[in-house]
Parts: sequence; structure tokens; C-alpha cells
Amino acid sequence: MGLIVPQRLWRKPLDAEKIKLPKAEIHIIPDLCKGCGFCIEFCPKKVLEKSDQINKRGAYPPKVVDESKCALCGFCTAICPEFAIFTIEKKNEEGCEGGKNE
Amino acid sequence: MANEEKVDKEEPRIGVYVCHCGLNIAGTVNCEEVAKFASTLPQVVIAKDNRYTCSDQGQELIKNDIKEHKLNRVVVASCSPRLHEPTFRKACEEAGLNKYLFEMANIREQCSWVHLHDKEAATDKAKDLVRAAVAKAALLEPEIETEVSITRKALVIGGGVAGIQAALDLADTGYKVYLVEKEPSIGGRMAQIDKTFPTMDCSICILAPKMSDVGHHPNIELLTNSEVQEVKGYIGNFKVKVLKRPRYVTDDCSACNDCSAVCPIAAPNEFDVGLATRKAIYTPFAQAVPSTYIIDREICLNKEGVMTCDKCIKACERQAIDFDMKPQTLDLEVGTIIVATGADVYNPSSLQNYGYTRHPNVITSLEFERLINAGGPSGGNLIRPSDMKIPKSVAFIQCVGSRSKKGNLYCSNVCCMNTIKDSLLIKEHWPDVKIYVFYVDIRAFGKGFEDLYRRAKEEGVIFIRGLPAEVAEDRKTSNLWLIGENTLQKEIYKVNVGMVILSVGIEPCQDSNVIQRLFTLSRTSDGFFMEAHPKLRPVDTPTGGVFLAGCAESPKDIKDSVTQASAAAARAGILMAQGKVTVEAITPEPIPENCQVCGLCAQVCPYNAIIVDKESKLVEVIEAACAGCGTCGAECQFDALHMRHFTNAQILSQIDALTEEDADKKIIAFCCNWCAYAGADFAGVSRMQYPPNVRIIRTMCSGRVSPKFVEHAFARGAGAVLVAGCHPGDCHYIDANNQTQKRVERLWKKMDRLRVDKDRLQLLWASAAEGERVASKVRDMQAVLNELSPEEVEKSKKAFEGS
Repeated sequence: MGLIVPQRLWRKPLDAEKIKLPKAEIHIIPDLCKGCGFCIEFCPKKVLEKSDQINKRGAYPPKVVDESKCALCGFCTAICPEFAIFTIEKKNEEGCEGGKNE
Repeated sequence: MANEEKVDKEEPRIGVYVCHCGLNIAGTVNCEEVAKFASTLPQVVIAKDNRYTCSDQGQELIKNDIKEHKLNRVVVASCSPRLHEPTFRKACEEAGLNKYLFEMANIREQCSWVHLHDKEAATDKAKDLVRAAVAKAALLEPEIETEVSITRKALVIGGGVAGIQAALDLADTGYKVYLVEKEPSIGGRMAQIDKTFPTMDCSICILAPKMSDVGHHPNIELLTNSEVQEVKGYIGNFKVKVLKRPRYVTDDCSACNDCSAVCPIAAPNEFDVGLATRKAIYTPFAQAVPSTYIIDREICLNKEGVMTCDKCIKACERQAIDFDMKPQTLDLEVGTIIVATGADVYNPSSLQNYGYTRHPNVITSLEFERLINAGGPSGGNLIRPSDMKIPKSVAFIQCVGSRSKKGNLYCSNVCCMNTIKDSLLIKEHWPDVKIYVFYVDIRAFGKGFEDLYRRAKEEGVIFIRGLPAEVAEDRKTSNLWLIGENTLQKEIYKVNVGMVILSVGIEPCQDSNVIQRLFTLSRTSDGFFMEAHPKLRPVDTPTGGVFLAGCAESPKDIKDSVTQASAAAARAGILMAQGKVTVEAITPEPIPENCQVCGLCAQVCPYNAIIVDKESKLVEVIEAACAGCGTCGAECQFDALHMRHFTNAQILSQIDALTEEDADKKIIAFCCNWCAYAGADFAGVSRMQYPPNVRIIRTMCSGRVSPKFVEHAFARGAGAVLVAGCHPGDCHYIDANNQTQKRVERLWKKMDRLRVDKDRLQLLWASAAEGERVASKVRDMQAVLNELSPEEVEKSKKAFEGS
């Protein structure tokens, strides 16, 4: 969830379940990755980390730690020099307000 | 003025007027005898006693005598100078006498009223006080007050209903107003509240038009998301630095909400007390002014230097989003300032027995306001946070955080009526909900309040006297058990309800200390800002040109806040309409012949009003910045600062006069004008009785009390000396009383060294409201006097000889 609760407001908002934040599907094409680590470093939600699986190019591609944290900002896609990662929005039953522009 | 200069050289011709004040003074003090005594004092030309000196006839008498007997000094022995000094000064001025040639002896608040049953001692004390006043009067000098111009612009701090009203009033009068608000929108607490008591008006419906007026007023510059960082200057000429934090959205924003809809980051909305969510780009509420959205960079994905998300930028048709906005510091020049910084609500999570934050269905009254509000998170449905259902019964607990040592000692003023209003709101929507109100006292004191209380009782709201000792949760149902004692029926109750609303009190703002420091204000023991006079100057502060409005001064309801705001605007308007003001001529004048350019005076000045140039050996006093506390004069070892109207020579002459007879049986007390002297006056007004052996000398600040005054008193054989000032942190001259403490501590050390009994010098911190503290200190010190041996007095006389 993208919900951040600061300390002084302790209560979970009543509409916390209802707010429609986009849900992401993260796709990594391991063999394209050359292991530069940009996606891991620049992800604002710290969704990715280095995996221990070596790929064809001898690099360690990223792996997803927590897909639900992804805010679909698309920065990993934009920054990847090898086109090895992209995100798409999960189509859930209620529809996603958050994904209008993708 | 020519004749004023002449006075300086002329032999003093003093007139003394001893007032009976009906029987207030004459009932205890033999005024005739005091007047007769006064006529024997040196340089006294005439001495009279009359019934009411402050009456028109009394003043006419003084004016005539000034002309007829060529008086050039006037002494009135009557009430406190804090009350009637301005009256008599004006009378002197009207007769052509400089007002600084007037002196007063306080023989009512500090004599007749506190020694009601000892007529002889009271009369003796009155004589002493007159003798001291005459001694000082002989040394008085005419002073010319400087005139200061007033910038015709105002600053209002805080955009709650009080700040809004004050800003609108001033702007409508025609003055330019800067309204500074730290939140993204103005509106304050009133915008959060659903309905107002006792009329049940919709709060935001009556506030929104005013907010919009502020936004559109040509004379108001609205600075939201901004904070005052620095205040310099003085009445009429303040220089204020305001930090305007960036919104990252320009004024082109049309508040269409397209950006917010696509923003992937959500957080609890502060405006809804965390009961609803908002996005990282948001507006706090629908009626916000300005309506421009704002980006919360704390949670936005885009950090400084790295732009990862551009959803809002792409969604904004008007291209109003600008992540490159930087904080701005604005320099404002204003003549008057209104502090309307409002209040916070009490946080009940520290009261463990009520279970707030442990039990989801225990909510605060502010959370209730958002729940019952149609624009709130539940669409106006009073739902329980645990299961989102409307409860069948609710309980209000009153005085949460008020009137108790566990929270704050004071009554928060609005909670009783707020609960009564809330109970009626519940009855209006859900008549079947059973409502309990657990209270200590119901305070329904205002216009229309009792009617509302009666209506609530008629609607079936159950009022039970006695707060619950504990709120326990039923695990299965999340219902709550309230256990306590009904103090009217002396019965234990155990009540089960679906929801508990804690009627939380009002607290001073967390950043009050910042505002206090910026404006050198004082706060009462409750933490709210203190007015210049609780009755007659209720919106002024001790700092000239700074006024108070709303809950910053004390807990109050909307009507009182608005009333006070209009009053503050009027007070500020008076200054700006006149365009100039005179400042009291009590500032120091450097005496270059004596000055060693040591720079100690500049070091102790709380206002940085003294500039010492060691190279050119010049000491300059910036008169407009100086407030006249005199702590520089007390620090100076070389008699190089002439403290106008409170000169060393004048104060020493008062000490001499008071120690002329039976010095060893007397306490010489130095009291600061604002706290200790006012506290002694308060003891008089309250008729607190204490021993008649104390003789009070008034200084503006306890920081004026030079160690040599104390030493001189001992050298003259005084039995004991008291130095009294404001509580640390409450000094009216920022922190000048820190110097008082240091000096007294140094004196104690010296007394130790000289083997003089240290108990004979005492230090007291007493506020203007602590008359009993002053009285009990005098009683304590009387015990010291009783123990005093003639040898001890001789020893101290010798030890401090020549001081």
C-alpha cells in the first residue's frame, strides 16, 4: 500500500481500504540486465533488490521484494539502459483511478 | 520647553497630597498626621490631605497649587502608581509641569489595605513611604519623551477565525495587512468543526465567506504555508522575516483535482484528524483558501534532485505544477502585530484509564466533529471505527485534560457546551441513540447556553455527575464499559456503550514558546499569552504594538474569539490612525566621563540596544530598541549610565529615607513593576494581611537592582532586604531577571565571606497574581527580623560601610 501514516496520527483512516491506489505488476527480463543497479538505487519505494541468480550476461538482475509497494511511477522502465524492466497496472475488478495515464 | 530646563536648576518646591480615598486609606492611616509630617520634610512647600485626590476637585487643587505656590515637584500619597500615576501626571502636565516631576507613594494597596488592624504601624509606614517619595521627588528631572512614527501596515499571525476577523477589520479600515498562516489553508479549528453552539449554525458555512473575503481583499496579502522566523524593531517599526515554504503548485491551479486523482501516494489527512486519506498532492478541504493545491514533499516520490514520478505534471492541463519552487524569505515592515496563533487540543493518550489509542471506539471530540460533518470521512454518519456501524449508545466524558492535575488545571471553557451541542446533533440524526454525559460541573454560562442545556435534557440526554474511573473494552463487541461513581447519588455505576467521546480540552499551541521568544511576550502559568492588564487592557500585550486575539490568549469560543479579534484590530488601528506614539523616557544615557568602555552593559542588555565601540570608546544606546529595564545600569560599576527616572541617586535617596528611623526593624524590598510590585498590589486588593515592616521600592525590572543598592541598605542598618521579580522565563524584559539572580547569588557569597547572616537577603519570584506569595514572604522575613541581634546589625553596617 502507498499509505504512509505519520506518527502523530495513529488511527488507520476509515477509507484506507476504499482508496484505489494502482496495483502494479513488475516484469523483469533477467537476461537483458547488465547489472548496473540503477533501478534498485532509484526506486523511490525501494521495491527491488539484487538477486543472487546470475544471468547469461554474467550479471545479477534485480528481484522484486514487495510488489504491493510499487507506486507505478515507471522510473525503473525509464532509467533502465537495457530495456530489461517494465511495469504494468494490474486490472482489478473495481478499476484503478490511479492508472489513467498509463 | 524653556520652563522645564529652568526647573533643573531651581531649588525643588515640593507639594505633597495625602489622599484619604474615602475610608480606604483614612480608615487605617491617620492622613492628617501624615500630611503634617510631610510638611516638615525638606523642600516641601505645602502638604495637604484630602478625601479623593483623583477626583476633578483633587486634581484642580494640585493644578492651582502648582501655579499659586510655584511648585516644581508633586507627590501624591494614595493608591498604586500602576492605577493612577497617568491621571496625576496628566494633571501636572496641564498645569505646565513636566510629568516626570511627579512621584507617588503607595499607601493604599501596600499600606492601609494590608495592615487593616494596626493603625499606628500603618501610619508610621505611610510616613516612611511619603518621606521616600519626597526624597526621590527632590531629585526628579524633567524628561522629554521621544516620538516614534508608526508604519501603517499590520501583521496578523494565524489564520483561524480570530486572525481572519482581525485581518478583515484592519483591511476594511484601509490598512495593508499581511496574514501569515503556517498551514496550507486558513480556517483554523473552526473549519474543522461541524456546527457551532448555541445557535447550531453550520461552522464552515459561516466561516467560508469570511475566508473567501480574505482571499480576495485588495488590502490583504495572504501568506499560507508560511511562518514568522524573526522579529526585530519596536512599536510602529517592526521588521519581520517570514519564511514562505513552496507549495510546488502555482496560482494557475484551478483546483480541478485531476492531479490528486492520479497521484499514487496517500496519507492520512491532517484536517480530518487522520480519519480520511489524502494524496501527496492535495487540498486539505473543499473550501480551502487559497484553493491552490499543495504537494507534500515529505511523502511525494520526487525527492530533491531526482524526479521519478510525473503523473501529476502530466495530468495538469494548466501546467501549474512546478517542482523547482524554492522557499522564500520575505522581509515585511509593519507597525502593529496581532498574535492569533490559536490553540491545540489536548492529547488524551497519556490518560491510560480512558484507553484512547488502545480501544478503537474511544474517540476525541475533534474526531467526532469530523465524523458528524457531512463533508467528513464518513459522510456525516457517526460510525464506530471498529465496525463502521452506528452505535446504539454513546457516552461523553467531560473535562478530559482540563481541571485536573493529570492534564491542565484550568477549565477549557468550551467543552461543556460543545458536548451539549454534539449530543443534540446525535439526537437530531439518530433519536434512538442513548446518550450519557459524565461531567464534573456543567458550565453553561453564556448567552443562550442554558437554553441549549435544557433542550438537551428535554431530548433525553442523561447527565451523570462523576467521571468514570476507567473505560474497559468488551473484546467481542468492541463495546465499552464505563465504571465510576455517581457523586450526586453516591452510587457506583457501570454503563455499557457503543462509543466513547472524550471531550478534550484546549492547550496552548506547541510553538507558543517560539512566538513568546519572538515577541518577548509573557505567558501565564497555564501557558497562554498574558495580557497587559487582565481587566482594562485585555487584548494588549506588555510589548508595545503587539496585540492578542483568540485562543492564544485563553481558551474561548468562536464568538469570544471574534469579539477579541475585532477589539485587537481596533487597538492596532488606533496606533496606526495616530501614526505616531511616544515612548516612556526611562532609557539610559551614557556618561562618557565615567565610562571605561568595559562593555558589560551591552552584554546584559536583553534587547541588544547598547552598542559599545571599544576603538572609538563610544557607548551608544538605541533608544527605540531599549525597553528601560535598567539592568545595564545595575551592571555598570562606574556610574556611567544615567537611568532616567530610576537613577542611582534617586533610588539611593529612597533607601536613605526608608532607613532613617528604626532601620533594623525594616525590610527594604525592591520589586519589579510588572510582577512583584503588581503582586504586592494584588495582595492589597485582596486584603491579605502581613507585617507592616516592609518598605517597597519600585523599579521597572528586578534587573535594575544594583548590588550597591542592597549593600547600601545594609550599610544604613536595614534589618533585611528583599529582591523580588518575575518568575524565570516570565520576565517582561526577556531574561533580564537572570542577571538579578546572578547578582543576588554573588551578594550571598559576599555575605558569607563577611560572616553576615545570609537569610537577611532574600530573593522572591512572584507573578502579578501571586499576592499571597508576596505576603507569606514578608511573614517569613519578619521571623528573620525577630531573630536579629544588634551586634549582627552593627556587623553588617561595618561590613558594607561606604557602599
